[in-house]
Amino acid sequence: MTVHVAGRDLSTDPRAAWRAFRREVSSMPRALRAWFAFLLVLCLVGAVGALLALPPGWEVLGTSPSFEWGILITAYVFFAITTSGLCLASSLGTVFGIEMFLPLEKRHAVLALLCLITAFGVIALDLHYPVRMVLGAVLSPSPFSPMWWMGVFYGVYLLFLMVEVWSIFAGRWQIHRIACVLSSITAVLAPTTLGAVFAVLGARPYWHGAFTPPAMVTAALLSGTALLGIVFYLVHRLRLAGYERALTLAIPAIRLLLTIGLAVTILVVAWQMMFGLYGVIPGLSTATAAILVGPLAVPFWVFRVGVGLAAPLVLLLVPRTRTPEGLFAACCLIFVGAVADRAIFVSAGQVVPGTAVAGVVSTPFAEYGPTLVEISIVLGAFGFLGLAYTLVERYLPMGEHMGHLAGAFLGSTEAAATIHEEASDPVPPAAPILDPVGGAL
Amino acid sequence: MSETGATGTANKGAGSTTLSRRRILQLGLAAVPAACGARLLAGALTSTDGAARAAEPAPDAPAYDPAAHDWAFVIDTTTCIGCGRCVDACKLENHVPEDGELNRTWVELHVVADDGTVAVTSPEGGRRGFPADEAAVPASIRDAYFVPRTCMQCENPPCTWVCPVSATFRTEDGVVLVDEKRCIGCGYCLVACPYGARYMIPAGETSPKGVSGIVDKCTFCYHRITRGMLPACAEVCPVNARIFGDLNDATGPVSVALSEKRVRVMKPALGTKPHVYYAGLEGEVE
Repeated sequence: MTVHVAGRDLSTDPRAAWRAFRREVSSMPRALRAWFAFLLVLCLVGAVGALLALPPGWEVLGTSPSFEWGILITAYVFFAITTSGLCLASSLGTVFGIEMFLPLEKRHAVLALLCLITAFGVIALDLHYPVRMVLGAVLSPSPFSPMWWMGVFYGVYLLFLMVEVWSIFAGRWQIHRIACVLSSITAVLAPTTLGAVFAVLGARPYWHGAFTPPAMVTAALLSGTALLGIVFYLVHRLRLAGYERALTLAIPAIRLLLTIGLAVTILVVAWQMMFGLYGVIPGLSTATAAILVGPLAVPFWVFRVGVGLAAPLVLLLVPRTRTPEGLFAACCLIFVGAVADRAIFVSAGQVVPGTAVAGVVSTPFAEYGPTLVEISIVLGAFGFLGLAYTLVERYLPMGEHMGHLAGAFLGSTEAAATIHEEASDPVPPAAPILDPVGGAL
Repeated sequence: MSETGATGTANKGAGSTTLSRRRILQLGLAAVPAACGARLLAGALTSTDGAARAAEPAPDAPAYDPAAHDWAFVIDTTTCIGCGRCVDACKLENHVPEDGELNRTWVELHVVADDGTVAVTSPEGGRRGFPADEAAVPASIRDAYFVPRTCMQCENPPCTWVCPVSATFRTEDGVVLVDEKRCIGCGYCLVACPYGARYMIPAGETSPKGVSGIVDKCTFCYHRITRGMLPACAEVCPVNARIFGDLNDATGPVSVALSEKRVRVMKPALGTKPHVYYAGLEGEVE
């Protein structure tokens, strides 16, 4: 007996399935096998960490009453913000119909969905009673809590993304168009509410204030676009499905978004620091000092400013590096900077002890160091995201279908059908797609 | 044609009426187990609402009326001697972990140097007192005093506002409690508290009701005060530095202390309206 999955007939007989699996693995290029092995090792490391952290394994986390939110929260914020950024970047094409952003839509949808699932997985491991949270959010809702609203918006976002991904692969364009609009709206609401989770806390001056939610959207746009940049460079470099449009449309679109995003983010960070330095608010000035010259100075100046902002901006602006390779390097650097930024953000809000004020010399800064278990969970999260996306890229038809959107905006189904036909997959869906040209992998 | 159409409509209408009745019955039958299930599920997650969730009066105790009380503390820092008996009593009474970093109440020693800098120490939460440490003492001291700390039982508590599942709540008699069956252990209330008055019960340790991995905090010994007793910390204080009572009682110890002493609350700018008042506290202590 066989089942039809992603254009292939798969046997349900265990022996036949195992033989097919071995044939598939042996047919892969060596580099791809190594890439899968690397990702599987990361997933395995993460799985071990996750098992150790499952209730009642809370003692394996390095958090304390004075530093309650550690790198698992950092990782959650990172993935949750990135998933929104992916949607925001592509919404310029999917919602507003700007042609140069249309190629981003299919890969963004898959990446956004996987990023969000990863974020949920990480936060579930940080919560002590995740099942109770799901039940409690429904049975005893707390509409005054930003965290409750964050759960609502990200839950709805997950639903819309699932519909978006399903409709794009099923060719249900009318539903897809509606799902794109709805997911784009929630892609703005969700990160701003995530920002509000921190922003409403008067006890934490670094997080507190109306500044935080919009800053989250800026951060989302930057990290989401950077991830798209990494993926589309690889699409171009490895000649994956739809690579022609990757070079002509997607990469220039990503370059434009990144340049704007970097400029805005630099302004946001600069004003955030300036505002903090005008220190009349005790906790805020101390936290800003911790970032600029204190325990967070190295991550801030080296990874956030140097690696995450200055270097990529140079790569994007200097004519010699305005190449796909330069963009790829810039995206990788921005991605590293984004991870550092989320870590600095989460830490800076807690680094000033809640029960001390400026002038207290005995405990100037709260301390936190992640445990190996926490680090392994975060590595596993990245491994899961990489593995899941690579599988999707290899086994699902990832050629971009933008005709339906163009048609929708042109108001003509004939035009949609024509453009759809032109833009359809150059590679048959049933064939393995991640086949490098010239042994690039 | 029109007749057929009319008949069709009538039939449709009749069918619709029948179906509606059946549908209502179906919904009604489905609603009963659904409501029971939801109630059972909710019951599994929560106990009853408000103060009754935590207050379980002894059979022989008079009926306790939360609406008739408004509990508060006045802490007199001029009389506290830093013996740590309050911390010890609290740990014993409320199953607070032995770890010195995890406390429902603790005592800090504030040493103010001549240049205005303040050194704060609280070894093991002050449970064993404050052993002399010459190295930590500044060359010249302007002032030194003990500050007993606890949950401020705020009238406008940030912790209850942020809880995503309404697990932490303020009772009618002015005490902020945590429902152990609802708390999800997210730590949001912990970072929201401006006074550092909450901690997460670690694995291997349990709350008085045998739960771990949830947030714990001072309850003013709710199980005691609803039976007419003092909180454990106030009970054992040898110098009566912790004055506990009912703000609704005009002749009670708290009301008297508030009328006789100059008091202040911590971090008044945050608008939390604490129900723990400090007498003799320096301005720089927050």
